[in-house]
Amino acid sequence: MTRPLFPALIPAAAAALLAAAFPSQAAAQATPRALAPGVEVEVDSPGAPVPGRIDETALRYYARIGDVARLEAEIARLKAIDPLWDPPADLFAPQAQPSGVDETPFWERLSAGRIAEARAAIAEQRVRTPGWQPSARLLEELDLAEATRRVRDASEANRWSEVVEAAAAEPRVLTCARLDTLWRTAEAYGRLGRTEDAFALYRTAVTTCPRAAERRDTLFKASAHLPPERVRDLAELGATANPAEGEDYAAVRGALAELEVGRTLARLGARGAEPAAADLARAEAAVLERRDADGALALGWFHQNRRRFAQALEWFGRANEWEPGERAAEGLVLAYAGLNRRAEALEAARPWRGTSRRVDQAVRAVERPAGTGGPAAPRGPSPLDRALAARDWSGCLDLIEAERRANRFTAALAQQRGWCLMELDRPTEAEAAFAQALALAPSAPPAERRRLTEGAEYGALQARLRQDDATGVVRDLPTSQLSEAQRRDLRAGALASQALRAYEEQRHRDALRLLDARRELEAEPRGLTLMRGWSLYALGRQNEALAVFEALDRRLSTADTREAVSVARRAIYRGE
Amino acid sequence: MRAINRRTALAITAAAAAAAAGVGAGAMTGTGMSAAGREAELAPAAWADFAARFVAADGRVVDTGNAGISHSEGQGYGMLLAAAARDRAAFRRLWDWTRSQLMVRPDGLVAWKWEPGKGVTDPNNATDGDVLIAWALLRAGELWPDSGLREPGVTLTRAVARHLVVRHAGLTLPLPGMEGFRKGTAVVVNPSYLVFPAFRAMAAADPDGPWQELVTSGLVLLAKARFSQWQLPPDWAQVEADGTVTLPDGFRKQFGYDAIRVPLYLAWGGLRDPYYFRPYGALTARFAGGPVPATVSLPGGTTAQVAASSGMLAVHRLAARLASTGANVTVPPGATGEDYYSTVLLLLTRLAERSLGFAP
Repeated sequence: MTRPLFPALIPAAAAALLAAAFPSQAAAQATPRALAPGVEVEVDSPGAPVPGRIDETALRYYARIGDVARLEAEIARLKAIDPLWDPPADLFAPQAQPSGVDETPFWERLSAGRIAEARAAIAEQRVRTPGWQPSARLLEELDLAEATRRVRDASEANRWSEVVEAAAAEPRVLTCARLDTLWRTAEAYGRLGRTEDAFALYRTAVTTCPRAAERRDTLFKASAHLPPERVRDLAELGATANPAEGEDYAAVRGALAELEVGRTLARLGARGAEPAAADLARAEAAVLERRDADGALALGWFHQNRRRFAQALEWFGRANEWEPGERAAEGLVLAYAGLNRRAEALEAARPWRGTSRRVDQAVRAVERPAGTGGPAAPRGPSPLDRALAARDWSGCLDLIEAERRANRFTAALAQQRGWCLMELDRPTEAEAAFAQALALAPSAPPAERRRLTEGAEYGALQARLRQDDATGVVRDLPTSQLSEAQRRDLRAGALASQALRAYEEQRHRDALRLLDARRELEAEPRGLTLMRGWSLYALGRQNEALAVFEALDRRLSTADTREAVSVARRAIYRGE
Repeated sequence: MRAINRRTALAITAAAAAAAAGVGAGAMTGTGMSAAGREAELAPAAWADFAARFVAADGRVVDTGNAGISHSEGQGYGMLLAAAARDRAAFRRLWDWTRSQLMVRPDGLVAWKWEPGKGVTDPNNATDGDVLIAWALLRAGELWPDSGLREPGVTLTRAVARHLVVRHAGLTLPLPGMEGFRKGTAVVVNPSYLVFPAFRAMAAADPDGPWQELVTSGLVLLAKARFSQWQLPPDWAQVEADGTVTLPDGFRKQFGYDAIRVPLYLAWGGLRDPYYFRPYGALTARFAGGPVPATVSLPGGTTAQVAASSGMLAVHRLAARLASTGANVTVPPGATGEDYYSTVLLLLTRLAERSLGFAP
């Protein structure tokens, strides 16, 4: 699974992602025939099936342990192999073990993900019972589980060719039944530049997965690795191909619209971007509808950079209203400055002065230092200040590079270079820049040394966090020289990153524990609260999940929260 | 027609019974082994050839591929082969040399490295050497109950259990040596030191020892330690505190001269599950008709130009047979020019095949 966005930094986008990631699990109970314990199973008593034609080992195991979801999946799978097959009438009756070997211990290990142990136990059983063969179904499930794990491990480590190789060795994992593996493999193709192979896999998903949510999520995944026109092709296929009864594929087209708005907003920041008026209008409407603070900021900068300060002010104001923060404040300061409303600019900056690097920078760009009449004539903002105020990050790099060539490189400039690289989402280089800043700090004026050292260290840790090294950051925090606020900030970021990872790996208890720890440090953003709700849901704590979703929905009702509330309500109503 | 079917059926039953007998404690003294005790498992000619080429008159096994040095592993193999050939005098010479030259450690373990003219040049032990020597002694004690060889076997078995078997990440694992294999919270292991048939014999001699857990954990380790598209075990593996298995830095990252023994010991231990043999079957199937590479770098899976020796090919042939991949591995016959290690692998594979009821 891709993790392109960092929740603490981009909460709204992460929320969308999480919502996109979840419903494939949430929708698991949406199959028409419920098989909850105590509920009658549709089985045909007459016309006994020919024994031995279909391997019912797994079926009987899931029936015995009462794993309804897997039982249903297995019934569907066997039906697909043989449409004439029906679940045996005695599915829930105790069965004699025909081979003399009870396979339950192996299935238990397999279900618990302890595959190596299952393999070892089988090998030992074969020594004890030489004539015995494990059922073909057990061996198949083990092969699939191993291939799934290989794909996951390789993809977690960004070893894309290994992902492709592992999937090629076991193509049976590339089906809708193992959607996460399919997505990871498609991503690997995308990363390797094999766009058509990636497309083929995404097409498999959007044309064979019965659930609308699965198709919609596939679209979100594909958008990161396919060109827009191919994503449009997928949306067209996903909205029409092989419809399943009772599913509404409008969500697929909705996802496409959402993606296109996202692309318009992302393009606003590019130099010289001039989106079509219709696209812009659609994006603005979507941002207003969703109360999307990040989108509002993007629109604010779009106008600010074209010196349309009044419109910029409007969008920054909305962003600040929906989600108050230093980035909105920074925009407000500069927009007011553009309108020559200095007092209001300083007023907007006030809550953040001294604690926000961004806001302080913005203030420096607008404040004219008072001339003392001495030899130092009043100075306006430097070209670098202006570049930063205009959010011209490449310009920032160019200017600093010029300083470096002129042998005027300092720790402060190295650090600024790090932050500009962070803005450009180049965290690896940023980390190097912060390391350079740290190395240069001792040659700075004594008064600034401590501040520079701290800043560089903080930046380096932020850069590592952005590179997914949460574990390393947590390990190194205690030995760092940071202020308490900076530490708290980093620790919260690391916990969010770890929680997201736990959630993706379906370690829901860990996810909750990490979220709880994070909430001790900082208020929980929306995206993470939504994740908390889905974790509770996955653990069968439906009432708590519903409470979380309803609280979110009361504060701000969006498509995500409405869907979450309705899924949780249905589950409670159906007693699942 | 009918007679042939019957014979085939009987052969299978006999092999299955032998394999089944290998499980529990006490199996090595069971009927299967005492019946085998009457008849040598290794042809006298094969043993005589090995002894002439690699065993000095004083009982020292010479590693001709390694500048004529000696080591605990070689002594262990020599003793096993001598026992299999029922050469009691040779066994005694090999053991005497081992005891007097290599058993210089206060903890009862065996120093691993000996160089001509210098004696022991590295007092650290190599656990496979200790295990092989202990197993050979136990075997000799069974064959020749009046020889007094069982007691030192039991003593060495207990020393291995006490000093070299560790509990780590939920697994019971053999440390490759006393010194140098703990890395912070991780442990470095050598999968080819999992001498499964020896563990079974040691379980019989030391019923309270950790031997059955070593078998179980060894299988778990081998199910985890699979790398590259070939899914082969590495010569050296690192087991992290959470149980994940990685390739340790500072060790050659490959499937090679060490790890080739992994399928040999599995088969010899009666652990015939095809899952554990498929990687070798796949490798030899891929290189069918040409030279099979001696080493495969991991995790990349790049194969070496150097071809596998006859002994390595013999192991591959056995593995392919158990994997049922249908791959046909040809082992060059009459390899008198083979070095010590290749010859050892050839002979040990022959013993393993025999224990499984396979025709040579």
